[in-house]
Amino acid sequence: MFAPIIRKLAYLTRRDRFEEDLDTEIRFHLETRIADLESGGLSKADASAQARSEFGSRIRTSEETRSAWSFVWLEQIVADVRFALRSFARRRSFALASILCLAIGIASNALIFSLVNGVLLRDLPYPHPEQLTSIRFSPPNQADQKLGSNSGTYFFIRDHGDIFEKTGAVRITGFSASPDPTGATSPEWVQGAWTSTGMIALMGVEPMLGRWYADDGGLDTVISHRLWKRMYRGAPDVVGKKIYLDAGAGNIVGVAPEDFQTVNPDIDLWRSQPDSNLANALRSPNRVFLMFGRLKPGISVEQAQSRLRALEPELGAEYSMNSGWGVRIESLRDSYVGYMRRPLFVLQGAVLLLLLIACANVAGLLLAQAAVRQKELALRVSLGSSRARLIRQLLVENIVLSLGGGVLGTVAAWFGLQWVLKASFAAAHSIYGVSLDWRVLAFTFAISLITGLIFGVLPALQVSRPALMNAVRESGRSLTASTSSSRLRGAFVVAQMALALVLLTGSGLLIQTLIRLNTTDTGLNANNVAVVQIPFSRTFYRNANRTNPSGGLTVEFDGRFDALSERVRERLAQVPGVESATATVTPPLGGIARRVQFSRPGTTLSESEQGVWSAEWYPVSTSYFETLKIPVKTGRAIGTGDRQGTQPVVVINESLARDFFPNQDPIGQPLQLAGLDEPPRQIVGVVGDVRQDRYQTRPQAQVYVPRIQLPNFMDMATALEFVVPSFVVRTAADPTSVIPSLRSAVHEVAPALPIASIRTVEDYAAGQLQDVQQYATLLSLFGGISLILAVTGIFGVMVNTVSQRTNEIGIRVALGATASGVLGLIVGQGFKLIVAGLAVGLVITFLATPAIGSFLWGVSVSDPLTYAIAAIGLAMIGLLACYIPALRALRVQPIDALRHE
Amino acid sequence: MTQELLPGTLYMMVLRTLAAGPLHGYAIARKIRDASRGGLEIEDGSLYPALNRMWVKGWLKAEWGISENNRKARFYRLTAEGRKQLEQETTDFDQLIKSIQLVMRSV
Repeated sequence: MFAPIIRKLAYLTRRDRFEEDLDTEIRFHLETRIADLESGGLSKADASAQARSEFGSRIRTSEETRSAWSFVWLEQIVADVRFALRSFARRRSFALASILCLAIGIASNALIFSLVNGVLLRDLPYPHPEQLTSIRFSPPNQADQKLGSNSGTYFFIRDHGDIFEKTGAVRITGFSASPDPTGATSPEWVQGAWTSTGMIALMGVEPMLGRWYADDGGLDTVISHRLWKRMYRGAPDVVGKKIYLDAGAGNIVGVAPEDFQTVNPDIDLWRSQPDSNLANALRSPNRVFLMFGRLKPGISVEQAQSRLRALEPELGAEYSMNSGWGVRIESLRDSYVGYMRRPLFVLQGAVLLLLLIACANVAGLLLAQAAVRQKELALRVSLGSSRARLIRQLLVENIVLSLGGGVLGTVAAWFGLQWVLKASFAAAHSIYGVSLDWRVLAFTFAISLITGLIFGVLPALQVSRPALMNAVRESGRSLTASTSSSRLRGAFVVAQMALALVLLTGSGLLIQTLIRLNTTDTGLNANNVAVVQIPFSRTFYRNANRTNPSGGLTVEFDGRFDALSERVRERLAQVPGVESATATVTPPLGGIARRVQFSRPGTTLSESEQGVWSAEWYPVSTSYFETLKIPVKTGRAIGTGDRQGTQPVVVINESLARDFFPNQDPIGQPLQLAGLDEPPRQIVGVVGDVRQDRYQTRPQAQVYVPRIQLPNFMDMATALEFVVPSFVVRTAADPTSVIPSLRSAVHEVAPALPIASIRTVEDYAAGQLQDVQQYATLLSLFGGISLILAVTGIFGVMVNTVSQRTNEIGIRVALGATASGVLGLIVGQGFKLIVAGLAVGLVITFLATPAIGSFLWGVSVSDPLTYAIAAIGLAMIGLLACYIPALRALRVQPIDALRHE
Repeated sequence: MTQELLPGTLYMMVLRTLAAGPLHGYAIARKIRDASRGGLEIEDGSLYPALNRMWVKGWLKAEWGISENNRKARFYRLTAEGRKQLEQETTDFDQLIKSIQLVMRSV
């Protein structure tokens, strides 16, 4: 099937030679024939005449032979394109308006598709990425939670079920890291990962520089591409150097590829923690390992899930801490970017709607051109063009327009992409390597072509209708607009209004969500509060009185964690401009608090109650409520009198008091907190609710305990490793000006302590809304564009209607129609279209908004207020677009109107 | 009395003419003329576009050679594909003729 095309292409390259050959051939034919006839007795002249007559036209023979070799359709299309370009040169403003319209629609699509492509479609950069999975565990009755593994569970899953070719586990930790041992460069806090035996082999990629370490728990370290650039300035001889960590100096043996990622993109170094180490803590319930598996070939994620589900009872029997827990498996890609799938698909859907609106706009413009074009087309029909030929010509014109829009749109998308990547959006989701690659370009080309057909087919059929052409040929002037053409334009306006309403309502719902999130009280005063996060890593603590065996950074400080912590807090409180300082672990409004189960002493909870009787758990120092201005409702706050050895106390929040101590005074009541191995605590105070997670629909039960009364607290923090002490300071003015003094105050108390971060609570609070904010921004941007396009569409229709009805209006005015009557006539026509559009749009919106349901907060997907605002707003702007052309109609003088045309 | 060609039959006749071996365009024209005893209305010139179309389709191959009168001439040769096409068209054509005859005799 391709061979003829190849032969034709070969012909194209040797066209001249071919012509000569054909000429030779024909000459041979004629001359041989003449010779034959002459030998049969004819005279030379007669022979020549007969030969020519038998042969027929030489010119036609050459032409038809040539056409046997040419791509007829291609040449015709080239001719059509030339014709289209000439035609657009005459109708420049129409062509520009159309191309601009399409460019907006196509650019939005190319932009969003480049994100979809880069984030969701591209393979992860590992061999056979489809086999890579992440295994997580959900607590009893909380199927949507995905937690890590403990070591016993890891080994159990590894050895059962015949599911995985390779398994591995990662344990995330923080390191204080420095490129030199003297501390001349102040150490930086970096996230690192311990990898179990086999984890590196499971990923299956080589480092960019050097090699991987052996799974032997040694000091060999591989650093991330980012850390290499940042800490070693991309030095090519970094392999062989040392990196000085609080956990001991590491030998850098390799630099990971730029796109290498375990668990999350913030991990900057990897070291080995062999399975022999993990095996030491088989019965530990701490879920500090994140498990990964490479599926055996031929096993799907679904099959693996069902086999793992079958293992759950056995796992619970073997390790009681897993009793009732579920095992969840998902592809590695889903675990990395799965949460972005829905927002990106919704955005892609939104821009497709936008493109349809743009198409309707251009289709409207094409129909408006119809009157002009029909005379030209009628002429061509009378010269012998077929209707099919005309339709092809019109479609080629449309595709030229849409490809023009496609080119312009691609350029615009490139600029848009630079903007999106620069915005925090990309950083927050570690989007790297998103670009306009060949897939995006192919997609853009395809939608450009399809677009050309979508907006072009109906107008082309309409314009080339034979009946219409006859009418044009006969009269050349008509009193009112041709009904079918204006009905079609009306249908386009209805569609535009409907689609614009979908986008506007969608973005309206997200904006409502933002407004409600922002106006809902968080329960604390976040003004002028900063949080200093200082990782007191386990090694600092453990090695306090010893020399660091592996030659890592050593830190001088005395005694216990609490004492150091208190010294830092006191020193921070003395910094000029600081009003009060307190210590906690979870930054206020930043991050998710740990939860504990609680009960009244002497009662045991049934399984169903266990999920309910749980609260957010905050181990805090003195001045916590004062610093954050959390109101103490009854009783007292945690004070300096609460220390080790005194009565263990707890402060609860109002929600807990209301829900679990209804109609009684909780003050003085005992409360047992589970899992901390401690006696019951006495409730001494009730404080206001804090919305730590701003998306929670209702306030959560919360308990505050004096951290000094938690003798095992540091042990637990040590075991968990990811607990980072946070010091919260309230400043008199903007905290940013105090930050340098906070830094030096910490340095004064403990010179080698790394400061992981200093951020304001407002910053944390805003960070929680960042995703929905960006989502709302993008969707509102598209909503706004769709509004402009739709309004331009209806405006164009009205202008056209008014100009077509000018002499009708003139007659009406001459016969005594009032201004308001004429106005009503014109605006009424537009109003009908708008109402129809809104009616259709409301139905579509109602069906479409559940797609963003999971991103809404405090507002339902069918929120009547948002629907009403979007619909009425759209109607008002639409009516305005009708009103302006209608006013113009009024200014028409009857006599001019009658002469009009 | 000359007859106009049924559509597509020129291809079939050219293929049939070439079945015995390669020929140049003039020889093909002569053979068809002689065999039909001048009963078909074919201009010799119309042979060449037909030959070239079949060449593009891959039914024929063309090569330069020396004619009987010692002149340079282009010879056309049937390809395997062309032979298959000839059989197909011959069967189809026979079938068509038979069907037409049946109708003409029985109705």
